[in-house]
Amino acid sequence: MAECDKASRKITIKLVYYGPALSGKTTNLTRLHDLLAPDLKGEIMALETHDDRTLFFDLLPLGFRTPSDWLIKFKLYTVPGQVVHDATRKAVLSRADGVVFVADSQRSQGLNNSESFQNLEDNVRRVGLDFERLPLVVQFNKRDLSNIVSEEEMRARWGATPWPLTFASALSGPGVTQTFRTLAHAVYPDLDARFGLAARHGVGPDAFVSAVMGGAAHAA
Amino acid sequence: MQPKGFERALGLGELLSGIGRETLAAELGRALGRPIAVTALTGETVLGEPTEAGEGVRRVPLRYDLEVVGYLQARECDEARLRALGRILEFFFQSSARYFLASELHLEVVQADFQALTHKHQSLVHSEARYKALAENLEARVKEQVGLIEDTQRQLYQAEKMASVGQLAAGVAHEINNPIGFIRSNLNTARSYVEKLATFRRTLKTQGVPQDWAWMEADLDFVLEDFRALLAESLSGAERVARIVADLKGFSAVDQAGQSSVDLNEQLRAVGDIAATQIRGCAELVLDLGPLPAVRCQPGQLNQVFLNLLLNALQAVEGRGQIRIATDVRDHQIRIRIADTGRGIPEAILPRIFEPFFTTRAVGQGTGLGLTVSRDIVVAHGGRIEVESRVGAGTTFTVWLPVAPD
Ligand SMILES: Nc1nc2c(ncn2[C@@H]2O[C@H](COP(=O)(O)OP(=O)(O)OP(=O)(O)O)[C@@H](O)[C@H]2O)c(=O)[nH]1
Ligand SMILES: Nc1ncnc2c1ncn2[C@@H]1O[C@H](COP(=O)(O)OP(=O)(O)OP(=O)(O)O)[C@@H](O)[C@H]1O
Ligand SMILES: [Mg+2]
Ligand SMILES: [Mg+2]
Repeated sequence: MAECDKASRKITIKLVYYGPALSGKTTNLTRLHDLLAPDLKGEIMALETHDDRTLFFDLLPLGFRTPSDWLIKFKLYTVPGQVVHDATRKAVLSRADGVVFVADSQRSQGLNNSESFQNLEDNVRRVGLDFERLPLVVQFNKRDLSNIVSEEEMRARWGATPWPLTFASALSGPGVTQTFRTLAHAVYPDLDARFGLAARHGVGPDAFVSAVMGGAAHAA
Repeated sequence: MQPKGFERALGLGELLSGIGRETLAAELGRALGRPIAVTALTGETVLGEPTEAGEGVRRVPLRYDLEVVGYLQARECDEARLRALGRILEFFFQSSARYFLASELHLEVVQADFQALTHKHQSLVHSEARYKALAENLEARVKEQVGLIEDTQRQLYQAEKMASVGQLAAGVAHEINNPIGFIRSNLNTARSYVEKLATFRRTLKTQGVPQDWAWMEADLDFVLEDFRALLAESLSGAERVARIVADLKGFSAVDQAGQSSVDLNEQLRAVGDIAATQIRGCAELVLDLGPLPAVRCQPGQLNQVFLNLLLNALQAVEGRGQIRIATDVRDHQIRIRIADTGRGIPEAILPRIFEPFFTTRAVGQGTGLGLTVSRDIVVAHGGRIEVESRVGAGTTFTVWLPVAPD
């Protein structure tokens, strides 16, 4: 749940990159750090093991100031994808305002994807969030590889679900900002309803998205 | 809503933890060539000596997590250097924050894991208790069922024995037919003798016939003699029938649940007679019955015990051998020994022969309940059964009964 701190005039929004091990969550965050250019951008804080597997989480803070001179802060987290870290995943997922599910497009990863997605659904419920209402974007990553499930097939499989689908190659960049933009749009209505982003702070949906993305707002 | 757990906001104090503040201030001052101070947003000095704001004081903002959390300031210093030191402090903040986030998340996870484990443990304890209760219950119920099945089997066995008693009775009927047969033929002969006497009477009435001649004519010397023999034979035949009938009556008390006072020797004789047809030609039955006090018992049931032991002995002698039934009183107890010169019981199975359904007989030949039921009956009478056996030499079953069971 986003937090609204009236005393220091800031709203903090939490977005989480979820998905199976090695699907490219950390890579997504790294790319976003390079590509996004909001007013305020922190360094990525990575808590990883020696072999670059996420141990606790990665955290990228982004932010901008509203015309009302409030600070809108985004905290982008990744969870550790390895199955053993479930308790950590749950802790990181709690109070999330939106989730990107990073799936691995490789043919061999179908089972891992669906198990992880099931785990997401379970954990969302465990931390007391409403899975039906949680803004969620499903990203199929590693499109640059050759042994992948085709886009049509993915759309056929996932088309009936309510979530927007995106396709990305996080390693080189395509699709990463597109995914983030889709999520930013998806989280806006609820935040607007709760905090009056448009009415009280003068931030409409498009302004909201371009502010957090900066120069990357209209890139691919 | 306040941020919770690992996501809570960190104060400047926490961001500066991990290194001695005085050392840090001293080193930063040395790097700049001027004493430095770090102040919080409240104006409070958290590092170095408080400096009066005023002419010549420079300050740079210190950010953490996109926000200004304090200022680094010094008097009359190089601006670029001050900025660089500010950046270094910000890296330091980042690194402290990294430590705090990691340790607090770790704590959260460990606690969650611990709770999950505790919960799991509790439910395990709970389900273990349930399974234990269930298992105990199950054991009791299985026992009960087995008991029920065994009881039913024993009842069935009793019924079956009754049926075989019926077979014995058929044998007995055959036994009875024989004396009845010759008694009937004797009676026919007797009737013809009576005819002869009547003829003699008529001849005597006729004048002129010498009496001697008439006597001889009717062959009455022979008639008299044979009549006597014939009557004697018939009497003994009738007695035999009467005894067999009495035996049967005694034996068929099996299902009469009443107690009565009996002489066990008579019961044993009766059992021997009942089994006589089966024993004849297979074994020699020797009765060595010492005087016994009368015993209050269920004679039908004890008869069944004796018959079981007798039939087992008969099966053991396999056509050639001796079965000896001996009774006496020893140590104020009645002792009934049924000994055979049969094949004996191997030591390995000796401890098992009283077990329900234990049998060495071919399938369909024995239920393996004979000794079980026998022991039940003897124990119910306050006694016990013992067995001694030598393979190839024979077996002795000894039934001990109390002299005056109450
Ligand atoms: N070819 C290709 N490789 C990728 C892509 N995205 C990520 N990878 C590679 O996949 C591996 C894992 O990427 P990470 O971003 O560390 O994966 P993660 O999801 O954070 O993994 P965990 O932290 O263990 O859950 C790395 O070797 C990446 O270089 C992609 O789009 N294409
Ligand atoms: N006198 C005996 N000599 C040798 N073996 C014996 C003797 N009496 C009993 N047994 C052994 O003990 C076993 C158990 O005897 P029990 O009378 O209980 O059952 P059974 O004779 O086999 O069957 P059932 O009496 O039901 O027809 C027999 O199968 C036999 O092996
Ligand atoms: Mg990772
Ligand atoms: Mg028997």
